[in-house]
Amino acid sequence: MAKSRAAISPTVALAAVGLSIVVAVPFLAIVLQAIFPTLGRGSFAAPFSAFAGALGDAALIGMAGNTLLLGFCVVVLSAVVSVPLAIARALFRVPGAAIWDVMFLIPFMIPPYIAVLGWIMTLQPRGYLFQLAGFDLGSFLFSLPGIVFVMTLNTFPVVYFAVSRTVETVGSRYADVARLFGATPARAFWRVTLPLSTPGLAASLLLVFAMAIEEYGTPAALGRRAGFDVLVTAIDLRVSDWPIDLPGAAILSLILVILSFCAFLLQRWVLNRRSYEATTGKPQDTSKRELGVWTFPVLALFALVAFVATILPLLAILATALSRTISGGLAWSNLSFRHFAAILGDTTGALKALSTSLSLGVGAALITGLLGALSAYAVVKSRARGRGVLDVLTILPNSLPGIVVAVGLILAWNQPWLPITPYNTSLILLLAYCCILLPQPVRYATAAFHQIGDNLEAAARVSGASSLTAFRRILLPLIAPSLLAAMLLVFAVATRELVASVVIAPVGVSTISTYIWRQFEQGSVGLGMAMAFVTILITTALPLIVLSLMGRRGSLL
Amino acid sequence: MRQDTPSAGEAQHAIATRALSLSYGQTHVLRGIDLGLNRGQTLALLGPSGCGKTTLLRLVAGLLAPTRGDIFIDGRQVAGQGVLVPPERRGLGMVFQDYALWPHLSVAGNVAFPLEMAGVGRAERDRRVMAALSRVGLAEMSARRPSALSGGQQQRVAIARAIVGEPRIVLFDEPLSNLDRELRETMVAELGALIRDLGLTAIYVTHDQSEALTLADRVAVMDAGEIAQLAAPEDLVEHPASPKVAEFLRLGAVLTLRRVAEDWHLGQHPLGLTGGPASAMAHVLVTPRALVVADAAGATLTGDVIAIQYRDTAYAITVRLADTAPVQTVQIASNTRMRIGDRIGLTLLSDRLRWFPAQSPHPLKETRSC
Amino acid sequence: MLKTTLRASVATVSLLAATSAFADVTVYTAGPAGLIEQLAAGFTEETGIAIEFFQATTGNIMARIEAEAANPVVDVLISASWDTATDFAERGWLAPYTSPNAATVPDFLQTDTAVAQGVAALAIAWNPTSGTPRPTEWSDLTAPEFQGLVNLPDPAQSGSAFELVAALMATSGIELFDSLAANGAIVAGANAEALNPVLQGAKAAVFGAVDYIALNNMAAGESIEVIFPESGTVIAPRPMMILNWSDNQTDAQAFIDYVLSDAGQAIVAAQNLMPARADVAADRALIADLTILPIDAEAVYGARAETLDAFAGAFAQ
Repeated sequence: MAKSRAAISPTVALAAVGLSIVVAVPFLAIVLQAIFPTLGRGSFAAPFSAFAGALGDAALIGMAGNTLLLGFCVVVLSAVVSVPLAIARALFRVPGAAIWDVMFLIPFMIPPYIAVLGWIMTLQPRGYLFQLAGFDLGSFLFSLPGIVFVMTLNTFPVVYFAVSRTVETVGSRYADVARLFGATPARAFWRVTLPLSTPGLAASLLLVFAMAIEEYGTPAALGRRAGFDVLVTAIDLRVSDWPIDLPGAAILSLILVILSFCAFLLQRWVLNRRSYEATTGKPQDTSKRELGVWTFPVLALFALVAFVATILPLLAILATALSRTISGGLAWSNLSFRHFAAILGDTTGALKALSTSLSLGVGAALITGLLGALSAYAVVKSRARGRGVLDVLTILPNSLPGIVVAVGLILAWNQPWLPITPYNTSLILLLAYCCILLPQPVRYATAAFHQIGDNLEAAARVSGASSLTAFRRILLPLIAPSLLAAMLLVFAVATRELVASVVIAPVGVSTISTYIWRQFEQGSVGLGMAMAFVTILITTALPLIVLSLMGRRGSLL
Repeated sequence: MRQDTPSAGEAQHAIATRALSLSYGQTHVLRGIDLGLNRGQTLALLGPSGCGKTTLLRLVAGLLAPTRGDIFIDGRQVAGQGVLVPPERRGLGMVFQDYALWPHLSVAGNVAFPLEMAGVGRAERDRRVMAALSRVGLAEMSARRPSALSGGQQQRVAIARAIVGEPRIVLFDEPLSNLDRELRETMVAELGALIRDLGLTAIYVTHDQSEALTLADRVAVMDAGEIAQLAAPEDLVEHPASPKVAEFLRLGAVLTLRRVAEDWHLGQHPLGLTGGPASAMAHVLVTPRALVVADAAGATLTGDVIAIQYRDTAYAITVRLADTAPVQTVQIASNTRMRIGDRIGLTLLSDRLRWFPAQSPHPLKETRSC
Repeated sequence: MLKTTLRASVATVSLLAATSAFADVTVYTAGPAGLIEQLAAGFTEETGIAIEFFQATTGNIMARIEAEAANPVVDVLISASWDTATDFAERGWLAPYTSPNAATVPDFLQTDTAVAQGVAALAIAWNPTSGTPRPTEWSDLTAPEFQGLVNLPDPAQSGSAFELVAALMATSGIELFDSLAANGAIVAGANAEALNPVLQGAKAAVFGAVDYIALNNMAAGESIEVIFPESGTVIAPRPMMILNWSDNQTDAQAFIDYVLSDAGQAIVAAQNLMPARADVAADRALIADLTILPIDAEAVYGARAETLDAFAGAFAQ
């Protein structure tokens, strides 16, 4: 072995194998399904025959347009909401900064399908808002602005944390230099600090765009009534309305992937035009400015966003969970702990669903963490040929709707000739979560690897460590803090993933999300909301506890 | 898989390379490097940034794979057709420009790492780590984090890490360039002693000619991916192979002269020189020792004093020659203090000049001529 | 760290794999979850045969069966729409079976290859605290008092809602839906999505709610009343089918037998569904108490696209 030319390092090979299993296999299954309509029955007949029907759909242009419009609006509103907050947080001493960070983390932890139901119950006629204040905002909620509003509340934390971290890293160092040369504070910010923060901003906005065009729950719950159809709802219709149209769903998914990929290329283009090593260094200037007379207005802004994005949805969820009946409304006589009692008493299988989802969340976090680190290494540090392909594989899941991942996994893993298959075991859920959430650890690990000098690995190799040993002993520990944050995020999101779970859950296995969804489906909204509240508590508290034990706070996103 | 048998020379050498080349597409980083370094010798790779010296070091370390050519370490082929021994199996020590200390390990943990990789037992490991740290004077820092140390201390830790496994060959990649001047001079002396005491074979990459000339038994001056000259330090200074080597070693000014009949002209000035190559153009290396100050009136060359620096026992004077295009400056040593702006005359001493034949009008645009 | 991570992953993975051994009888069923849980538990207790089930919407189950077609795993399918039974029988996917316990199941609730588990009916689900007069007829919901207060489940998403729309179009014509639309009624997703706003009071009534869900809500203390119009409604029998690829026919048949047994039908009735067997009592209105609108399934489903188009046309502002 020592004498043979090691063309590919084992680290890169592991990444390639892992990515193939987790991402390439289901994606290929979808591509094949799009091309061969009867693939589900194991036949490769009539290639491309489904394209004319799916692409000839007159509504397609409208839906694709709506998808782009929605993605664009959510990106813009997310930026408008979070950039001022992030900059204030990064450059100034905002009182209670750590608390605001936690407050802005929670919206990301509230499952979108729960948040939207909470908003419906709050804003619709006779909803909680009406019961408390005598007016409702139902017509606003069930419209494009309403959809954008609700989705932005879920996505803005991504931008807030990315931009505040980048701006913090850039610090006021460079702006100070600009001021020395005669720039006003405002000009120094616009000409120096903001351009230097572009990479963080662009990356997070891309992620928001991908999240927005891939999100199912909100457009489905609010958009249908507003006559606002997007690609994801159309895909869902094709896989849930008899006769099932898997080829059509696969083709629409590929359109979605292409849209998302264009956004990715755009981001690359922006970053390549303006790439600054400065933004990858350690935060050097930790001294922050005082807000002075602006303290109160800035605090008011933070409080307003925290109230709307975090407190209100949580209160709506809690109010519903604590109501004996929905029709009883917000009245003390209607207060009841019976839904929580039913969950803790486990009369409805809730605890089993909790433990299943929590173990799946841990499993997904471990696997995506390891695979994410390996893949990011292959892309950032290795000179391996074909690493561009690996790069694409790591971001592909961003644009794959959960339901399509699920169908792809069934198509791929339920082939009769497979000697063993994870299908119909909990492993298939694990694969689905890993596929959907892999981009998170990759994103974190990539950023971390960019900050690690090449010589740290070289030094280990020369000291006698093999490629894998150097990865394990040197690189992995160095990116561990970032990776851990990403893994906690994966844990939180995997624990409540709904769309794929509903289709792919093995017989006899119930997850948190399928449990909640079943309660909603059968009209037990209160029970579902109680479970949702417990889940939000667990998925927010556990990662925060882990992080604070490690001496880091609020840096989960 | 063909394995090249090393020639007799290659077998003798601690490190040898044969026709070593590295290119990325159309970019040739290294072309046809042939080197041989005897055991116990120190080779300095000297050159401006981008000349390929660090690349060559990384090829020897195994951190890069050559496009063509062979590398032998102790007579064993480690790179070449069908062979690529990974860095961890080459038994080397290495010191990096940026120290490359692992921030998550303590000083002792950093130094112990090569021993751990070699499977050395804990007691033996601890003993050798402390010995290596004592050697660089940092025994009491063993429990600290590298980030708590100064730059010079960090580089000492890196040196301890490179020697702790008792490799016979240690590679130095501009180890001192991140340190300030004073510390650099102390460390050069320390490193020299260390290499001698341990009997190491070393390759030392640097862009500082004084470091190279102090430490090395052999110096390879590199330029544009090739070795411009490989020689012992004293030979290098006495007999630079090309104007470029001379300029890089800062031996003096290189002037481009034009032959007019039996004489040589600098611009329009006849210099009254004899000798030189039988070509129409020539470069001549003018060291401070080759110039004598003369009266400005009637001198073959005149110039204005533009900088004065008191150095050791004499003044180092920089003179801008009059009527030259492009502007040429020369250095002279003088016992008398001059004033900036003084016009002085200069005479060239033919026997102290070193000639190079030339075709192109300017030496820096010329490629290697030897 | 890598080793620990690997070890932990392996442990997690083996733990997960251990929790889902392959089942003796695999049942895919549309909701409610409580029903299949109790049926499975009762069956296993009686026969010792284990049941594994996958419960989702009819649509999600169909997607899964379609994707699994190369290597199907389902033995028994329970759908919320009789249409599934007809379609699967046409595709030749069903194994014929007539349970001995099906003797008292009315003929229109069974075929060679399918038999009803229980029956739901569509009704008006009305919130008595909504300040609207109690409706008794479908057309009452077009009254000005119900302006903007009526939800309809989407017939494109709910098979039973589709049958109701088709039957009412046949008897009352498209005008009923035109007036509903003119009165501000809204098409609001699947069944549960249509019902929730009525519970909170955002809407006053669901036009065509699935009765057992509303009845269960009523039992839980929600302010909701289930009204079956005199003029008639449609029923939604829930067909049980044995798939012909099942290599477990005997156990699958035993499961069908159990669901149709006295014990099984009692569990069905406890969910506020109408039992399939005519001789089993339930604490709710039964088929005999309702006026059932005539449906020519073949004609109705043959014209599905046209019906949905007409419906969508009425509600397109």
